[in-house]
Amino acid sequence: MDETREDILYFLKTQGFLNEKTVLQEHDSLSETGVIDSITLLQLVDYLESKYSIQIPVETITPENFDTLAGICQTVMKLKNG
Amino acid sequence: MAKTARTCNTCVLDETTPGVSINADTGLCQFCEHFTPLPKEKKEEYRTRMDTLLKSPPHQGKYDVIFALSGGVDSSYTLYRLKKEYPDLKILAVQFDNGFISDTALENARKFCNLTKSTYLRLCLDQKALRDTFSKAAVSRDAYPGTAKYRASDICNTCISIIKQKIIELAVTTNSPYIVFAFSPGQTDAPFVTLTKPFLVWMRKIFDGNLKSMGVTERDAYLIDPNLIRPGSPEPRVTIIHPFLIWEYNKPEFKKECLKLGWIDPDLKDHNSSNCLLNAFAIKNHLDKYHIHSYAFDLAALVRQGNMKREDAQEKLKVDNSDPSIQEVEHRLKG
Repeated sequence: MDETREDILYFLKTQGFLNEKTVLQEHDSLSETGVIDSITLLQLVDYLESKYSIQIPVETITPENFDTLAGICQTVMKLKNG
Repeated sequence: MAKTARTCNTCVLDETTPGVSINADTGLCQFCEHFTPLPKEKKEEYRTRMDTLLKSPPHQGKYDVIFALSGGVDSSYTLYRLKKEYPDLKILAVQFDNGFISDTALENARKFCNLTKSTYLRLCLDQKALRDTFSKAAVSRDAYPGTAKYRASDICNTCISIIKQKIIELAVTTNSPYIVFAFSPGQTDAPFVTLTKPFLVWMRKIFDGNLKSMGVTERDAYLIDPNLIRPGSPEPRVTIIHPFLIWEYNKPEFKKECLKLGWIDPDLKDHNSSNCLLNAFAIKNHLDKYHIHSYAFDLAALVRQGNMKREDAQEKLKVDNSDPSIQEVEHRLKG
């Protein structure tokens, strides 16, 4: 879980979506804090699919699953474990 | 002695742009350092998928494709090529009239619709309300997230988001299976986006929030009809396709091809748009507010991917504050 979290933060930082000083809490809304929008979200989905060799079904792209670090980590874990 | 700002050795980004850092050892920006080109096999896989979708569309509605047509080079070329490669497609080409598109762009759009036998729709919204919305975008700060600020100016982000919302609405109401946008490979990463109701609800909410933070009070006209995405409504069966992530992207060649087909060069002073008079003003506004050239990241990505020469991108990043359209737009937005 921690590793997934670090990967997501690494992606957001290296792609310029998050600056070095921003501290994100587990349940902060990524869309409301301005970290992601529709295009960034799709880039993140693409990154996670490549990184973990998983398929993220479109119906799982919801705020519950993708708007917080905690939600994304849980979704990735579920998909990784089949 | 003052330290000079370093520019990335590969692309056009420099460290005066907020969020850009140049590695002193490699001379590369963080985007070039982490860049992985799309493997050839992946591109072929995308090509096969696009062919499969567009060669035999499900014919579920009156149109197979709702196409976003600005009348500029990229979209005019894309419309032409789509019809050339997939002649049976029934296309509704939608040109959004934001009140600032050039007469030449209107003429080019109609011409290319005739050429491709596509149905033309000029999408008009209340012009006074639109002007007011663009004025609010111009004076707003941080209405869009940092990532969106890199992609486009606040004015262009507003305009593009309205277009997206209305085009999706049109696709859902006409039961059209595909939407095609001629975004450059610097503007988007995803060749296909399948729309689902929760995703659309979320996107509507985000854009509504952006408009709200700019102080736009009458927002419904800019957003997808909520009845189309309410619980119990049918699932949308729409996929967005971005062909420039699949075809080679070579703008000078596209322009040559378009000119041969009768496309007219509007000869605007602005290097980055051949259709919208707002653009030069929007670039200046963004630079003044955030010190970010709204085309820098798009052009940098094109250079990084090998789709544009570095010197051509640098030329496009030159800002000409004497462009008369800047004062004209300023005046019209105040009125």
